This record gives sequence, structure tokens and C-alpha cells, in this order.
Amino acid sequence: MTLAEPAIQVEHLVKVYGERSSNPVRALEGISLTVRRGEIYGLLGQNGAGKTTLLRILTTLTQPTSGTARLLGLDVARQGYEVRKQICAVLQENAVEIFLSVEDNLDTYGRFHSLPRAEIGRRANRVIAQFGLEDHRRQKVIDLSGGLKRRVQVAKVFMVDKPVVFLDEATTGMDPINKRATLDAIREQARQGRTIFLTTHMLDEAEELCDTIAIIDHGRCVAIGDPEKIKSLGSRVVEIRITYASLAPDPLGPLQRFALHRLELKNATIELAVDANEVSPFEVLNVLGTLGPVINLEVTGGSLEDAFIELLGKGSGPGPAPWRDRS
Amino acid sequence: MRMIFAVMYREYRIRTTSLTWLFYDLFMPLTYLLLFGIGLDRAFASGIAAGGGHVSYNSFFLAGVLSMASFGIAINTSYGFFVDRDNGIFYEFLTYPMTRAEFLIGKILFNCGLSVIQAILTIGLGAALLGIPVRWGMSGVVFAGVVIGTAGWFFFLTSFALRIRRNDMFNTFLNIAYFLLMFASSLFYPLDGLPAWLRNASYANPLTWHTDVLRYTTIGVGAPETVLLEAAAFLAFLAVSFAVAVRTLQHGILK
Repeated sequence: MTLAEPAIQVEHLVKVYGERSSNPVRALEGISLTVRRGEIYGLLGQNGAGKTTLLRILTTLTQPTSGTARLLGLDVARQGYEVRKQICAVLQENAVEIFLSVEDNLDTYGRFHSLPRAEIGRRANRVIAQFGLEDHRRQKVIDLSGGLKRRVQVAKVFMVDKPVVFLDEATTGMDPINKRATLDAIREQARQGRTIFLTTHMLDEAEELCDTIAIIDHGRCVAIGDPEKIKSLGSRVVEIRITYASLAPDPLGPLQRFALHRLELKNATIELAVDANEVSPFEVLNVLGTLGPVINLEVTGGSLEDAFIELLGKGSGPGPAPWRDRS
Repeated sequence: MRMIFAVMYREYRIRTTSLTWLFYDLFMPLTYLLLFGIGLDRAFASGIAAGGGHVSYNSFFLAGVLSMASFGIAINTSYGFFVDRDNGIFYEFLTYPMTRAEFLIGKILFNCGLSVIQAILTIGLGAALLGIPVRWGMSGVVFAGVVIGTAGWFFFLTSFALRIRRNDMFNTFLNIAYFLLMFASSLFYPLDGLPAWLRNASYANPLTWHTDVLRYTTIGVGAPETVLLEAAAFLAFLAVSFAVAVRTLQHGILK
């Protein structure tokens, strides 16, 4: 293991479930990706795209059918035990000791990760405060709500200092305040040099957190890059929202000559979307400027969600992945 | 070792959350001996011929109860995989920094400790209340036999618990296995009087090997050469079951 090695290197990874059965399921179709040390890497994809399978292979829960996956230079298929010493994981399923109290959950987790007893107590107090679990610390987890159980599960991984952290839909079921606390904690972990590999359905979360995003579909990567790059892979839709003090009669008339994706008039506000590849947004803005005295103007680019939907719409099924950033 | 202790600690914490469960595990065999044993002891008032000697049914049945108790603890422990799987914690365990062997050994070691306490209670109170003539000098070997028996059955059942995903299916499997293993063995009765087919099946049963070793070490019934052979066979059964269980954990969970 050397510092020059990436945190995770996946090459041509294939996973077939039920290989010998009459109905094998191909979960991964030769996926390749590289995660640099210290980055927050987001894996996005629809349900059944292969995200959890990739995570299971990287956390040594299952073996790949072919291809290689290395974590800090260690072969995850052959050096599972060594790999497990370098990782901690929040899996998709709720994973808590339901018959134990919150602090006993943290205590047993700390022991499994070889923390000294005094340190376990200190760190447990820290994460209990960080995740707002003070009022529940002596309550058995079986008596907690689903969101609180998830909080306990996520809090556990912040007890230990492992170089690579896997988070599978970590914020699912959390309220906005605790989701914010979790995202802050993830950022803090990354600042300390840890590599975070996360899967999520929350595209805003991925956009906010991740240095690199990979979108997978049917077990293949359809796009890899930083969030801005991924957003630019979708069609370049620009949204304009403009509010006037007063409007001339038939204000939408002058806009009919543009091929707009959307055009709406709500009181004195015009909302429209334009594909920058087809129509210049500046030309549209020039016309909008003539319709009356403007009191508010918002112009936004395409979101990650737009790109995600468009990429998966185009990228579904086998075949080459034209949007993939191979640089 | 640290990981084995961590798993043992976890088992201890889980077990002690339910004292009813713990109480049942510790006293169930003694209750069995006191109720079922006494009933049959009265039915066979003149005692039964076994291993060339003549003993009371209570004395004969003591080893059967100990053996059954080891099997019971192994069942409870292997059933724990389903509870852990339902709680989602099972897969998380497998991402912890330990080998699959450490996980299995830690899981059963605490429960082996329970089976030893159970054996002490059963033998001690069995001798005190029922007058069973126990060979106290062999106690160490008896407890070793109890530990090895519990571990052997746990490793055997683990492979099935891990491969059978549905707990109702595992329940059915256990019911059938328990039924066959229990009645085709020397647990309740001596094998000499059985029809040849049942006797031969019983001799091939690891539950017979385990029970015979415990019977010899607790009350001295049985031929030493045969018992030694049976002890060796059970150790081989334990080793193979352990290897298969570890392999199942490594490769057979999420195929």
C-alpha cells in the first residue's frame, strides 16, 4: 500500500448473481472507476442500477464474478480481512442492535473497532451530542422511531477513524436538521483526509457534497466527473424567472418566435426554460427586458437532476456510454 | 483474540437483555431431567441394561439431557443469525475488522460458557436430587465434552442457517433434523436392543457419539475404546463443520 495508490480502484468489475441458475442476474457489467484519497465520491443510479452490489463487493460482503477491485492497494476479493481493517460502512439496511440501548450500541461498535474503553466513552458522548441523541442514550433502540434508528446507525461510523468510509443512502429517513448534521459530519471526515464513498438518491445532497460523481445504469458507468461536468452533460437547459412591476398587454406574444421548452405567465411573473444549444438565452433576455419594468430576475442553469434524468433516459440498456468522461 | 472477545461481549450483552431466555437456557435441561427423566425412571423401575451394566433410567438419561442441552444452545445461537439478519446488523458485522472464523468462534464461545454453567447445574442438582452416581473425577472432561458438543452443533447448523434465507424454512429444517437426530441416537435409549437399520443409523449419528462420550465420562457406562473412537469422530465432525461454516460465511452469503 503506497500513498500514490488511489483509495479505490475498480477495473472491469462484473457481478452475476445466481451464475449457475437458469435465471442469472447481471448486476455489474464491467464497471471501472477510480476514487482518489480524501475525496467524497458519489455513486448515483436508479434502483437496481448496481450501486449496492458495487458497495457490497468493496466492503467484502460478496465476491465479484470477474474484474478487480482494490482498496488502498488491497485486493478486496483476496484480502478481505485487511480491507475490513481500513473501512467502516453504513449499509442500506437499518443495522442496529435493537435490544441494546443507544450507548450500548456505540459501546459494542467501539469494541469491534478496537477502541480503548475510555476512548469509547469519550467518542460516544461526542457523537451522541453531534446527532442529537442525548435524550435517547439509555433507551433501547427497539423503542426508537425509524429516523432515530438510522441516526444511531450513522452515528456509529463517526466513532472510529478509518481511512475509507462507505455510506449507502445514509440520510434516508432523517429529518432536515439531522440530515444537515450528517452532511456536516461527512464533510468534516473528508477534511480530515478520509475517503468517503457514498450512494444516494438525493441528487441535491450529492451535488452539495461530492467532489466526483459517477452515474451508473444497468451495471455500467454512464458518466463520471465533478458535479459541474455531470450537469453540463445534460442538455443545456437555462431557466429564467422574471417579475415585472407591470406588464404590457399580450406579454407572451413577442416570445412566441423562440423555441422554448416551457413558457408560463403567473400574475406579473414570466417563467420559461430554454435549451442553450437551440436558442441564445441572451436574445430571450433582450426581449424580456422590453416587456415592462423588471423588479426581480433569476437565471439558473440545468440541475444535476436534469442531467441525471436525461443521462439515464439516453443511457439505458447495453451499448457504448457516450457521455462518459474518460479523462 | 481481541475480536473474539468483542463478539463474546456482544453475545453477552444481547443474552443478558432477556433474563427469561437466560433462565430457560440454564434450567431447561434440569427440568427435563426432573420431569421426563423421573417419569421414565418410574416406568423402568428395575433400571435399564446399557454398555454391559445396569443403571437407573435417570442416570442413563443424564448424558442425553446434557447432549440435548448442547444441541439446544447451538440451535438458539444459530437462530441468532436470522434475528441479526432481520435487524440488518448481520451484514454490518461482516464488514467489521475480523476474520469470519473469529466471528463464529466469538459467537459460540460465550454460549459454550452458558452450556458449561448449564451442565454444572444439571449434573450437580441431578446428583443431589436424584442420586445419580456421578464420576466427579471426570468433571473436566465432561465440561470439555459439553463445550465441544455445543461448538460442533453450532458450526454444523451455521451453514444451514446462512444458506436457508427464510426462518420458517430453517424452523422446518430444524424440526426434521432434531427429530431424526434425537430418535436415531443413544439419547433416550440404549442402542443394543434396536432393529439393525435403526442401530446402524444411530451409530452414524454425531449426536450418539457426543452422548456416548458424555455418558461414559459422567456415569462410566460404555466401552472406553468405542468412546475414544466416538470422541475422535466428533472432533472430526466439529473440524469439518467449522471449515464449511467459515467457507459459507466467506462465499455463500450473497451469491
